[in-house]
Amino acid sequence: MARSAVSRRAALALAVTTAASVALGACTSGNASGTAAGAATKGALLTIPREDMGTFTRNFNPFSPNALPMTQQAIYERMFIYNPVKGEAVPWLAQTWETSKDGRTVTFHLNPAARWSDGKPLTAEDVAYTFSLQKKVMGGFDYLASAKAADAQTVQFTLSKPFSPALYELGQQVIVPKHVWEKVKDPAKETNPTPVGSGPYTTVAAFTPQSFDLTKNPNYWQAGKQNIPGIRMLAFAGNDPANLATTNGETDWADQFVPNIEKTFVAKDPAHRHYWFPPVGSTIHWQLNTTKAPYDDVRVRKALSTAVNRDQVVKVGMSGYAQPADCTGLSGGYNTWRDESVAGACSWTKFDVAAANAALDAAGLPKGGDGFRTLTDGKPWEVRISVGSASSDWLSVANVIAQNLAAVGVKARVDSKDWAVVVAGYEDGSFDTGIVWSNGGPTPYQYYRGVMSTETVKKAGEKATENYHRFGDAAADKALAAFAATSDESAQKQAASQLQRIYDETAPVVPLFSGPEWGLYNDVRFTGFPTQDNPYATLLTRGNTAVLVLTTVKPRA
Amino acid sequence: MPSVTDPALAPASASALTAPAAPGAGPPAPSRTSSVAQRSWVPAVARGGLLGSLLRSPKAVVGLALLAVFAILALLAPVLAPGDPSTIGDLASEAPSASHWLGTTAKGQDVLALTLWGARSSLAVGFVVGTAATLIGVVVGLAGAYFGSVVDDVLSLVTNVFLLLPGLPLLVVLAAFLPPGAATVVLVLVVTGWAGSARVLRAQALSIRGKDFVAAAIVSGERAWRIMFREILPNMASVVMGTFLACVIFGIGAQAGLEFLGLGDSSVVSWGTNLYWASNDGALMSGAWWAFVPSGLSIALVAFALALVNYGVDEVTNPRLRGRRRRKASRATSRPVATPQAAVTEVTR
Amino acid sequence: MRFVLRRLGFYAIAFWVSITLNFMLPRLMPGDPVSRMLTQSGARLEPDQVEQLRRLFGLDERPVVEQYLSYVASIFRGEMGVSISRFPTPVSEVISSQIGWTMLLGLTALVVAAVIGTVLGALAAWRRGGFLDSALPPVLVFVGSFPYFWLAMGALYLFGVTLGWFPLRHAFDVGVVPEWSAPFAANVATHLVLPALTIVLVSVGGWMLGMRNAMIATASEDYITMAEAKGLRRGRIMVRYAARNALLPSVTSFGMSLGFIVGGALLTEVVFAYPGVGYQLLASVQALDFPLMQGIFLTITAAVLIANFLVDLVYVRLDPRVRVS
Repeated sequence: MARSAVSRRAALALAVTTAASVALGACTSGNASGTAAGAATKGALLTIPREDMGTFTRNFNPFSPNALPMTQQAIYERMFIYNPVKGEAVPWLAQTWETSKDGRTVTFHLNPAARWSDGKPLTAEDVAYTFSLQKKVMGGFDYLASAKAADAQTVQFTLSKPFSPALYELGQQVIVPKHVWEKVKDPAKETNPTPVGSGPYTTVAAFTPQSFDLTKNPNYWQAGKQNIPGIRMLAFAGNDPANLATTNGETDWADQFVPNIEKTFVAKDPAHRHYWFPPVGSTIHWQLNTTKAPYDDVRVRKALSTAVNRDQVVKVGMSGYAQPADCTGLSGGYNTWRDESVAGACSWTKFDVAAANAALDAAGLPKGGDGFRTLTDGKPWEVRISVGSASSDWLSVANVIAQNLAAVGVKARVDSKDWAVVVAGYEDGSFDTGIVWSNGGPTPYQYYRGVMSTETVKKAGEKATENYHRFGDAAADKALAAFAATSDESAQKQAASQLQRIYDETAPVVPLFSGPEWGLYNDVRFTGFPTQDNPYATLLTRGNTAVLVLTTVKPRA
Repeated sequence: MPSVTDPALAPASASALTAPAAPGAGPPAPSRTSSVAQRSWVPAVARGGLLGSLLRSPKAVVGLALLAVFAILALLAPVLAPGDPSTIGDLASEAPSASHWLGTTAKGQDVLALTLWGARSSLAVGFVVGTAATLIGVVVGLAGAYFGSVVDDVLSLVTNVFLLLPGLPLLVVLAAFLPPGAATVVLVLVVTGWAGSARVLRAQALSIRGKDFVAAAIVSGERAWRIMFREILPNMASVVMGTFLACVIFGIGAQAGLEFLGLGDSSVVSWGTNLYWASNDGALMSGAWWAFVPSGLSIALVAFALALVNYGVDEVTNPRLRGRRRRKASRATSRPVATPQAAVTEVTR
Repeated sequence: MRFVLRRLGFYAIAFWVSITLNFMLPRLMPGDPVSRMLTQSGARLEPDQVEQLRRLFGLDERPVVEQYLSYVASIFRGEMGVSISRFPTPVSEVISSQIGWTMLLGLTALVVAAVIGTVLGALAAWRRGGFLDSALPPVLVFVGSFPYFWLAMGALYLFGVTLGWFPLRHAFDVGVVPEWSAPFAANVATHLVLPALTIVLVSVGGWMLGMRNAMIATASEDYITMAEAKGLRRGRIMVRYAARNALLPSVTSFGMSLGFIVGGALLTEVVFAYPGVGYQLLASVQALDFPLMQGIFLTITAAVLIANFLVDLVYVRLDPRVRVS
């Protein structure tokens, strides 16, 4: 009896082991390159961690919302690349572009040298095809009436209405080869395992669930810019393990959140390890549900904003990596648009306990016997601040705000739940207040549209995907329309100033700080990363400017 | 750029904590020292004498003393560390010193204060979860064992299904629907933890159900609830005690795990949230071990103390485990019941 | 036979309940995968693109009953659908590319812990009051009292970062090509040490105490006394008489633990960045990737049920009393 037990157990174990080996075999798909990890400078791949993917699944389809990292950075390219730090567009696949006087035609002139990694030339046909495919597969570009190839190097976009922000959206769409994608049966469901792109690193040299290597495009049209042998992406299930690799000096370039970066990262090798967090990300808001009392009262919104100590929010919540927002709500990425006459006279974004107390008293929210304020009808008032539990930095932000509010007699509770629940509350408008991101884009248009256009306000009960705080202003609509209708820069500036004044007046949300574009590097093996002094790109590995970095950095001599 | 820690980037997960215990296993308790099989039927004589006998077991005494120390520290937290422990201060990441015995966190909070206050939430949740899960286990187990047939079949099925249930989504769903707070954590842990204790208690009750004195009680016309709670229950006091201790350990550990993953209420100060923030603020990476060690060590010490008490209960009620060499004792129950090892390997990962 | 049939019936019901819950849970969760993606991309999608995505992922708008029936039917066809967070990769492909590593890790840790624990337990019980019996169990119980993630992170920083003895992450060195060769196996083995060791550390105590207690119970049986009376060697009695029978509960535990390896090593995978399916489970729950989540649960549930059923079968063979009752 005992013997049979042993043998059966062994058999069971064996069966499981076999199953494991079978599955193990399946782990290995695609190979070739075998460059040893941590090899000396020569031949080393630019190593980048990715903290939000525990494992990689082979999918280089640029239309897929789940495309692998570097698909839109190293494999496929855009007509131009907008650099938010300098506020300028860098010509890439297109050399020049112009918008017609009536604002309804946008023309791009492609670089005649551009070609695909299979050697075929990249033409205007490809561009026109890409847009028709994008509209079909993913939607968007609803203002685009047609995209036509005027000649091999000229693409003409006709818009259904004058819409100046279109230029940036069109210019930053990644372009795919027509001759490849027209043969794909269902582009939405394609995984595109061996991509044909125009980017600098398109060859998938090795692929495992824990890492993959991209090496040189053999036919790159800017061969002189392929200074490094390739890119190596590492998969991590969370910030901690990724940070371990980064602080241990095993990655060259990274953009995940590193706590206490001076101590944990820089201090280990100050000569080579650097970080740069330009405040050009989207503005992070504390949004107040303006359909609910007392947040429908602009005096209350401004008073609550005055009670927030933004310096502390930034120092404690964001480890000092961000820049406090002002009363234009504009992030550091829009410095050229900022109207100093508005920004210079900000009042409600300055921390002032006495002013906040006075304003709340004036708004009819008096302190009760217990020292806490009540609503106008005398009922107890508790501010619930929603924030996704996974975002620990924002959670700290919310905690600081709650402490700040207590100082002016406002009872606040941080309501941290799973993001799914938090966002569901934002979408159906049942939330009270919450920490939230904002819309971004090369011009302030998208930001202000998402914050205060009536167009984006959904009726009660309807699901909103932006403007969760449900605030609209007719004057803002006008200014937005004026902005979109003109491609004349000074006219746009005028409209933007108008928007800033309206924002300052109505306080649609409580702007907290400009989100930083994270980025850090270790230049032991590679040099030439962007810095504050040479801001040719940001250090965001998943951003549009990453290709500029990939085509600039060099192995250390 | 959204927040630096997107929802999908959360550090880890909870399935381990709530992984269904293996059918037939006890409640997922890392340090259960024995299985039901060894806890043979104890004559009702032992009734009431359990605590007294416990005090004669050195292991149990050490365990109880440790627990008492933690309980006193928790109760005295407002005296020892007055003020809100989570108040954000200016002295960030200070090493232990005379003014901050256990140093400060990256947010400038006093670690000692956090640890003391953390004990309140952790111990309270642990004991409430232990009590509730054991109570449900007792009712379900007794009812199943006493009534048998259809009642038992249905209750066993429910129990076994709960044991097999993937705990993580259940947890996320419950946590999502319920307001965040200690009550939610308790409810979630009870829902995912009761089945193990029910299974163990049913097995024990079943063996007592077959004893003559129960049959006698039935014949003499006693009411069902009276037989269940007056005749059977007192005779399985040691198993109930062991189950309770195991459930408390489960409660404390699972709460810490949940909170470590950010699934708890992060505004409450507890050992789990302390560890969550320590990890998020990069305590280990920046060498600030003092922010990481105290809470983890506290959890371990309390769990260890509970395990020691459990050990003591075993020795008191099971003479064979106490004796030095094989001493004759009554036969173990007829059907071997699986030890909780399967559960152990689960929970601890 | 009747016993086996009864058990089969139970497993069928348990399986049905599990898959039904599996179906219901995601539908009870608030939010949908597309709005979840929005929170990650920072809302850069236009409302009509959101609609497009919802259509693309085939988020079901049919009546729930209809959805349920087609869900059950697809399970029996072995179809698990297409992952949303890894769209358009099929769920089966996502799971199969990673489950091997999970099983390698889980199985290694389980076997090592069970074998070491059982041997130690048998020895401790046989030499009651000896060093093994008095010193080791408290130590192991104490180690096992630590929260696993705490211990794992401590081990990672101590042995990986500070001492540099073991690799910090992944199943094998980055850049090494997986192949069936000794160097690659060695590479995999060194990467397995820390993750497996931490699991063994916290779980070995349970195995040891279980075996020890079972041995003590067995040792008081009459046939042991009988064997001693016959003058058999003590070693022989221990191994052939006591340990064999005391092993029974451990065998059960082992069998059941096998079922849990699939979903078991989640925290390990996260701390050591091991490319397994456990982390995928959490990620899919957080991304509201219902098909992937259901696929992984289905795999775990099936593994648990099968392992339990096998244990039942083994039991019928091992313990004749079961057949009677």
